[in-house]
Amino acid sequence: MAFTTNIKTFFGETGNIAGFTGRFFSTGLKPRFEFRELLNQCYIIGYKSLPLIGLTGFIMGLVLTMQLRPSLVDYGVESQLPVMVGIAIVREIGPVITALIFAGKIASSIGAELGSMKVTEQIDAMEVSGTNPFKYLVATRVMATTLMLPVLTVMGDAISLFGAYIGVNIRSVTSFHLFFTQVFHSLEFSDALPAFVKTFFFGFAVGMIGSYKGYTSSKGTRGVGSAANSAVVLSSVVIFIIDLLAVQLTDLLGLN
Amino acid sequence: METASNPLSDISPEHKPGTAAIIIENLCKRFGDHIVLQDFGLTVQREQNVVVLGKSGSGKSVLIKCIIGLLRPDSGTIRVFGEDVTKLDHDALDKIRVKIGFLFQGNALYDSMTVRENLEFPLRRHWFDHSQKEVDALVIEALENVGLAHTVDLMPEELSGGMLKRVALARTMILKPEVILYDEPTTGLDPVTAREIDNLIVKLQRKYHTSSIIITHDMNCVRNTADRVALLLDGHCYAQGTYADFERSADKKIKQFFE
Amino acid sequence: MANQGENHIKLGVFVLTGLSVLILSFYLIGKNHNLFGSNFRIRARFSNLNGLTEGNNVQFSGIQAGTVKTINMINDTTIEVTMLIDNKIKSFIRRNAIASIGTEGLMGNKIVNILPGKVAGPPVSEGDLLAAERMVSTDEMLQTLSKTNSNIAQISEAIKATVLKINTSSLMDLANDKRIGPSVRSSLLRVEKAAGNAAQVTAGLNELIRGIKNGRGAAGVLISDTALAGNLQMAILKIRKASDNADRLTQQLNSLTQTIDQRLNQGDGSLNVLLKDSVFAQNLKQTMENLKKGTDGFNQNMEALKHNFLFRGFFKKQEREKAKQK
Repeated sequence: MAFTTNIKTFFGETGNIAGFTGRFFSTGLKPRFEFRELLNQCYIIGYKSLPLIGLTGFIMGLVLTMQLRPSLVDYGVESQLPVMVGIAIVREIGPVITALIFAGKIASSIGAELGSMKVTEQIDAMEVSGTNPFKYLVATRVMATTLMLPVLTVMGDAISLFGAYIGVNIRSVTSFHLFFTQVFHSLEFSDALPAFVKTFFFGFAVGMIGSYKGYTSSKGTRGVGSAANSAVVLSSVVIFIIDLLAVQLTDLLGLN
Repeated sequence: METASNPLSDISPEHKPGTAAIIIENLCKRFGDHIVLQDFGLTVQREQNVVVLGKSGSGKSVLIKCIIGLLRPDSGTIRVFGEDVTKLDHDALDKIRVKIGFLFQGNALYDSMTVRENLEFPLRRHWFDHSQKEVDALVIEALENVGLAHTVDLMPEELSGGMLKRVALARTMILKPEVILYDEPTTGLDPVTAREIDNLIVKLQRKYHTSSIIITHDMNCVRNTADRVALLLDGHCYAQGTYADFERSADKKIKQFFE
Repeated sequence: MANQGENHIKLGVFVLTGLSVLILSFYLIGKNHNLFGSNFRIRARFSNLNGLTEGNNVQFSGIQAGTVKTINMINDTTIEVTMLIDNKIKSFIRRNAIASIGTEGLMGNKIVNILPGKVAGPPVSEGDLLAAERMVSTDEMLQTLSKTNSNIAQISEAIKATVLKINTSSLMDLANDKRIGPSVRSSLLRVEKAAGNAAQVTAGLNELIRGIKNGRGAAGVLISDTALAGNLQMAILKIRKASDNADRLTQQLNSLTQTIDQRLNQGDGSLNVLLKDSVFAQNLKQTMENLKKGTDGFNQNMEALKHNFLFRGFFKKQEREKAKQK
């Protein structure tokens, strides 16, 4: 009995999210556009996340390099360390780690913010004030996450590669120029482009799920808390699912 | 209409559509199996304060949310200045909402914005019709009406409960609506502050010639503000009359509100 | 409002930085694959591409010069490869340059190598067909290898003949010599005995360790005893000394055989001469002496180990078992 209820809840939730996404495309993208609020959200979501993304990216690059080195030394291809790290960061680790950190920071904050706005009737107040709260709150946030995550990923990748450069230089000496020549020499468009394109989808998923969880949160402090929590959990899972789809798609298109 | 069962026998609701601001007829609303409103009827005349009295959870909030279009009733009609809001689409609803103000129970001030931005928010739909100067003038006027012009650049979290309520009232009034719906305006306030809010409601009603529906279970508020009182009980309008009518009534269900 | 303006500036800087990093990286990636910048085409025909694909690099004298643009099959033995070459390198490539297919590193991607011709020629122009060098394929490598193999076979044949010569020469008489024979034999016997002892000791140790592992016997406690550790260390030192002696012995044997070899090579390699050589005889004697000493020492060590209190019980038990079996 509990099992069927769970299944029902699962499908119901999926359907609701799909409907919510459909609503974004049907009403969220129509004029009049909340351009000022979009810029404001871009500032909060993008610019304010940069220090966090930068720090995690830097550490990731450094750690990855230090972890990979022993194996490469075993095979006698230590000189290929920049190549290896470069491909790992640009193709997979950069986009996914950035998206996960982003989901942790942004999906929860959107979920909690919209959730508490819902609980304190601020969303109703907007509706009454003649502003479509979906457009003003949800559409702007979803667009901000969709546009900002790719920018953050690019900068996170760059910082990550810088971390990797420092990681290489802990045990051996490589010039900055040689390191970047090696990294970019091994990279193809088919490495960078799909990785870049998928971050748009990551960002969209984070914004959409965070907004959905907040916008539909139940009353009470607990509702807000669980909205924030489930927004992070669900968006992290969805990021991995999108990543899986992306790798299959690039495989199908022969870009791997 | 519920006149047949009205325990206040001297009530004969005038029914002149030309002068009525809001006419509610046969309103039904249920959530699942729980029936909230059943065959509810109420008429609000222009420049009249009608208090809807009822216990917590009796569906008072649902009633005014139906009027403003936040909830759709299952059946029945709600005419606001002749237009049935239950049948309107989103754009038409937005137009009629300009004439309706709504004071939320929890104020619903946007806590990420300053008082000024909160008050500017309802003006956004006319953003391009007004210069910044006009907008500023409107904001200051609205705040002066509630005596809080000095708080214009503060954040809502820096204000006390009574001040928040007055700012929320200023925001409700900024578009000079013709009808104002108050959702429990004095709940959670101390009696002195509640009295201030009551007086403010009456003062603004006299100043701008508005009609209003006030939802409350606070009898002081009823006494201070009501031109007419309607008792919402079991989903329908149990009794209508003036405050004096209610006070005199020997009906058991009415009397329990005065104890 | 002023604050918001400032935020917008920060946002703008942020987005533009991100975009410029993106554009720069795309440019850097593209530069490696000749997607931007001016370039020209040259062609070369090969009979076998060995896995060269479109997009592989083209090097001119080891410098990155361009990429493989297209690969076209002309007929069953001819494949035409069109390459995009950077204009900067154009003036250096002569029409008599030779293209060949090689590998980046030992296991890397395939590349096209363009090497300048031996004599100066006119510079290439758009669409020129370069001469192609037949590249070294794995098959050819194997062919060369098989040639090498046959050479090695011949050499080993020759070596075999030499060895046979040594065998048939009267060197073997040396072993049959009555004076030398018994001493060699006795020393061999000693070595054998020593080896037997060593085997016994290891077997004992094995047993002991198994016992310790299984937690049986007092050996587990004993092993931590410092006195025992000292004994063991001494025993090991002695064993090492013995093996040092053995080492020296083999070295001397080695020099001995070398001397024999030399004699044989000198052509007059009759063994009589060899044996009459008093120096050699002395050497041989010395060797045998050393061998004896070495094995004696080793034997002593083994005996000492046997009588060590720790192993004593075990060896006694072993002897008893041997007796029982008899």
